[in-house]
Amino acid sequence: MRMMEIIPIIVFFMGMFGLMFSKNIIKSVACLVLMEMAVIVFILGLSYRAGVLPPIGRGLQYNLDGIADPLPQALMITAIIIGLAVTAIDFTMIIHLVRKHKSTDWNEVKALSRESFDKC
Amino acid sequence: MLTYFVLAPIVIAVFLYLFSSNKTNRIIAIVMQAIITGFALYLLLQTRQQGEILTFVGNYQGLLGVVLKADMMAASFVLLTALLFLVVAIYSLHEENSKLFWLLMFIWEGLLIGIFLSRDFFNVFVLAEVATVVVAVLIMYDKGRRNMFDGLVFLMANTVAIQFYLFGIGYVYMLTGVLDMQAATDILATLPRENLILPYALMMTAIAFKAAVIPMYSWLPKVQGIPRAPDAVAALLSGLHVKSAIFLFIRFQDVFAPVASTDLFLVIGLITAIVGVVMAVSQVDIKLLLAYSSTAQIGLIIAGLSIDDPYSHAGSLYHMISHALYKVALFLIAGVLSGMYGTRDMRKIKGIFKKDKFIGIAIVLALLGITGAPLFNGNVSKYFIMSGADYVVNSLMILINLGTILVAIKFGAMLFGTPDESYVGKKTDKSSDVAIYALCLMCFAGGIFGEELMDFLFNAPFQMSFYGFIEKIIILSASWVVGLVVYKYVFADNKNQAFFGRIRAIDLNFRGICVSIGAFFVVALAVVGFLS
Amino acid sequence: MTLALLLLWVVSGLLILQERTVFRMVIYLGVFSLITTIIFLFQGAPDVALANASVSGFSTIFLIVCFEKYYSAKDSAKKTKPNMPKVRLAGVCRGVAVLLFSVLMCVMFIHFLPDSEVSTYLKHQYATLFYSDVGGENAVTAIYLAYRLYDTVFEALMLVVSVIAVVHLSFFDEMSVSSGRQSEIRHSATAIRTIRVVCPIIILFGVYLIANGHLSPGGGFQGGVAVAVFFVCRFMIFNIYDLPVGTVLKDEKIVFLGIILVAVFVIFLGIHQYFPYQHTALLQTLYLLMMNTLIGVKVALGFMMLFYRYVAVDRQ
Repeated sequence: MRMMEIIPIIVFFMGMFGLMFSKNIIKSVACLVLMEMAVIVFILGLSYRAGVLPPIGRGLQYNLDGIADPLPQALMITAIIIGLAVTAIDFTMIIHLVRKHKSTDWNEVKALSRESFDKC
Repeated sequence: MLTYFVLAPIVIAVFLYLFSSNKTNRIIAIVMQAIITGFALYLLLQTRQQGEILTFVGNYQGLLGVVLKADMMAASFVLLTALLFLVVAIYSLHEENSKLFWLLMFIWEGLLIGIFLSRDFFNVFVLAEVATVVVAVLIMYDKGRRNMFDGLVFLMANTVAIQFYLFGIGYVYMLTGVLDMQAATDILATLPRENLILPYALMMTAIAFKAAVIPMYSWLPKVQGIPRAPDAVAALLSGLHVKSAIFLFIRFQDVFAPVASTDLFLVIGLITAIVGVVMAVSQVDIKLLLAYSSTAQIGLIIAGLSIDDPYSHAGSLYHMISHALYKVALFLIAGVLSGMYGTRDMRKIKGIFKKDKFIGIAIVLALLGITGAPLFNGNVSKYFIMSGADYVVNSLMILINLGTILVAIKFGAMLFGTPDESYVGKKTDKSSDVAIYALCLMCFAGGIFGEELMDFLFNAPFQMSFYGFIEKIIILSASWVVGLVVYKYVFADNKNQAFFGRIRAIDLNFRGICVSIGAFFVVALAVVGFLS
Repeated sequence: MTLALLLLWVVSGLLILQERTVFRMVIYLGVFSLITTIIFLFQGAPDVALANASVSGFSTIFLIVCFEKYYSAKDSAKKTKPNMPKVRLAGVCRGVAVLLFSVLMCVMFIHFLPDSEVSTYLKHQYATLFYSDVGGENAVTAIYLAYRLYDTVFEALMLVVSVIAVVHLSFFDEMSVSSGRQSEIRHSATAIRTIRVVCPIIILFGVYLIANGHLSPGGGFQGGVAVAVFFVCRFMIFNIYDLPVGTVLKDEKIVFLGIILVAVFVIFLGIHQYFPYQHTALLQTLYLLMMNTLIGVKVALGFMMLFYRYVAVDRQ
C-alpha cells in the first residue's frame, strides 16, 4: 500500500522541517519524536493490508498473507525503547538548561551557556 | 565465540560497578583490559588461520538470528580497540575516577567491538545508538564544569542522523527480506539499480554523519573541545569512535556495490581534509587543533578508500590504525600539558623541553608519526594511499600533508621558548608517561615493520618501492621547508590573529547541523541518482 | 478509514509544528503519539502499540509535571505565553527557504522510491518455525526474546545507560532525593480517589502483561512500565518519595546481569536446542516467563528511577 509509505515520508520531512526551522529546543525534540514515529509507522506499514491480523497464534504459516510481519514489530519495540531513552536524556539536559538559563531558545541558551562558561 | 567478545566487557563493567571500590577498580580494570587484549590477539591469529569466523547467535539456522562475523579487518580493529582501551586504562591509573567512569568505558569498549563484529543492519543501529549515549554521558562526566549545551547538540544531532539509517533499514528489509549484511549484499546485487539508490543515500547520510565528514564534521571538534571532558574520552573519540563509522562505511560500500559512488566520497573526502587542515591551523586551543586535524585525516582516509586501487585501500586501512595510535598519543599528551600549564591555550604553553624532557621527546615522536616522516607509521600508510592516486588527487594530498606539517610545526612550537608564570608545574605521573611512550613506540614500530604489519593485519602483502620511497622523502623534505617558511611568515608570533579568529568563529548551530544533514542527503541522492 | 486516520495523524503533526507554547506542544505530542498508537493497531502490531502507549503516556504525564514545575516558578506569566515576535522579513525568507528545501527533499525521496514487491522471506520462516523453535504463541515475543535476543540485551543496556545518564546529568546532586521528601504537587481529592481506584487495576494489568507476554500482546517491557506506573501513582497519592536511590540503581544492574546470564546460558550457548524431548514445551514456556519477568522488573526499576529524577525535585 503506497499510502502507508508516502504519508510517513511526509511526516518525516515535516519533522525535518521543524528541526531545521524551529528556534525552540522543546519543539526540536518534538520534531525528533515526529521523525522517529514516522520511521516506525513506515517500517510496520511494509506488510500492511486492510484488515491485517497480528502474528499471534498457531499455524501462522497457513495464513501468511493475512498476518503482519513479526520481525519489524520486534525491531520497532526496540526502536521505541531506544527513542524513549534518548528522549529522556534529552529532556534531562533541557530541563537543566531551562532551569539554569530560563529560556528555551536555541540561540539564547547557547549564548548564555557560553557566557557562564567562560567565567569559570 | 564472538558473542563473548562483546558481552564480556559489559559484564565486567557491571561487576566492577557493583562489587569494587574506587581504589581497586583501576587495577582490576587494567588487568581485565590486558586479558581482553590477549583474547583479541588470539582472535586475530585464529582469523588469519581460518579466514573468517562466524557466530550464529543462539545457533538458529539460516538468517533467523543475528550473525556475527570476524574477518581480518574486523579482528584487527577489535585488537586495536582492546589495545587502546588498555593504554587509556594505564593512562588513567593515577586519576581516582569514580565507578561510573569505568562502567561507561567498559560498556563503550563492548559496544565498539560489537560494531566491528556485527553483520546485522539493525544490530549496528542499536549498538551505535547506545554508544552515542555512552559518549554523551562520558563527555559531561565532570559535574563541575560540563557543557550541557554541546552535549545536547551532540546527542540530538546524532539521533536525527540515525533516523535516516533506520529508514534505510526499512528499505533494505523491504527489498531483500533479510537484515544480514552478507545475504543483503547477494540479493541487492541482483536487483535493478534504481531500487538501491534511496536506501544507499539514506544509510550513507547517517554513516557520513557518524564519520564526521564535510558538511557534518562540526560535532566532533565541538565534543572533543568540551573542557574537563576526560582526556581519554576525547582521545578515543577520534581514535576509535569515528573509526567505527568509517569501518561501517567500508562495509556499506560493499553491500551497496551496484550503486556505491566512489567519486562522490573521493571529492567529499578531499574537501573534508582541506577544510580540516585550514580549520586546524587557525586554532589556538590545543585540543581543538588536534580535533580538526582528526577531521583532516578522516578526509584523507575516506578519499583513500574511494580510490579504486588495492594499494590505496590497504593504505587507508593501515592509516586508520596509525592515525588512531598517534592521535590518541597526542590527545593524551595534550591532556598532560593542559594539566602542567593549567591552560589549553597554545600561545601560553611554552618551553616544554626545558621543563619536561620526557614529554618533549614523546611529542617529537608523535609529531613525526602524524607528518609521515620516514620510519614512522604515518609514512607507510600515506605512501600506500598516494601510490594509487592519479595526478590531481596526488598533488592535493601533498597539499594536505603540507597542512598537516603546518599543524605539527604549530604544535611543535610549544616545545621551545621559555615557560612563563602560567606554568603550574604539576608533574606528570609515571603511569601516563608509560601510556604515552607505549603509543609513541607503537608509532615507531608501525613505521619500521609497516609492510609486515599490513600483511599481518589486513592480509595485504604490498611492498614499498625504493624509488617511490626516495621520491616521497624528497617531497616530504620540500614540504617541511615550505611549511617552516609559511609558519615563519604567517603564523609565528601570533600574526594574523584577526583573520584566524574569523575562521575559528565558523560554527554551525543545531539548525545548521540539521540543514547540513539534509543537504548531504539531497546531494548524495542527486549524485547517485542523476549523475552516474 | 485508515487513510482518514493517517490524515488525522499528519494534522496532529502540523499542530505540533505551528505551536508556540511549550504546554500545548506537550499535549499535542501526546495526541500525536496516541494516534500513532492507533495506527500501530491498524497495522496489526498490538505489541508495538502497547509499548508505544505506555511510553507516550508515561512521558506525556512527566513532561507536563516537569514543565509545570518550571513554569510555575515566579516568571510563569512571562514564559508560558511569550510575546509573539514580530514577523521579520529575514525570518520569513529563512522559513520559506527551509520549507522549499524540505519539500525538495521530500519530492526527491518520493521520486526515488524503490518500486518492488515486499520480500516475505523471513516472515515465512518465522511464521513456520517459531512455535517449535521457541514456544509460546506470540511470534513477536519469540523473535524479541529468542531469535534476536542479542538486540534485546543491548536494549536493556540502553535503559541501564539512560538511567545512569538521567541520574548523573540531572540538575540535582547524585543522591539528593533520598528519603521522606514531600511532593509539592497539590492534587485534588477527585484525582486521588480516581488514582486509588485505578491503581490496583494498573498493577494487575502489568502483571498480566508480563505473565502472558508469550501468549498474547505485551511482554516484559510493556508490563514493567505498567508496574512502574502503579508505584508512581502510589507515591503521588501518599506524597512520599522514600525510594532509596542507591539501592534501586544497584538492584537494576543486578537484574541486568541476570538478564545477560540467562541469555548466555539458555540461548547463546545453544542449550535451548537440547531441551529434553518430553519437557520441551514446559521448559520453553519457563524460559519465556523468566525472561519476561526479569525484563519487567528491570524496566519497572528503571522507570521508577526516571520518574524520581524528573518529578521528585527538591525545592528551589
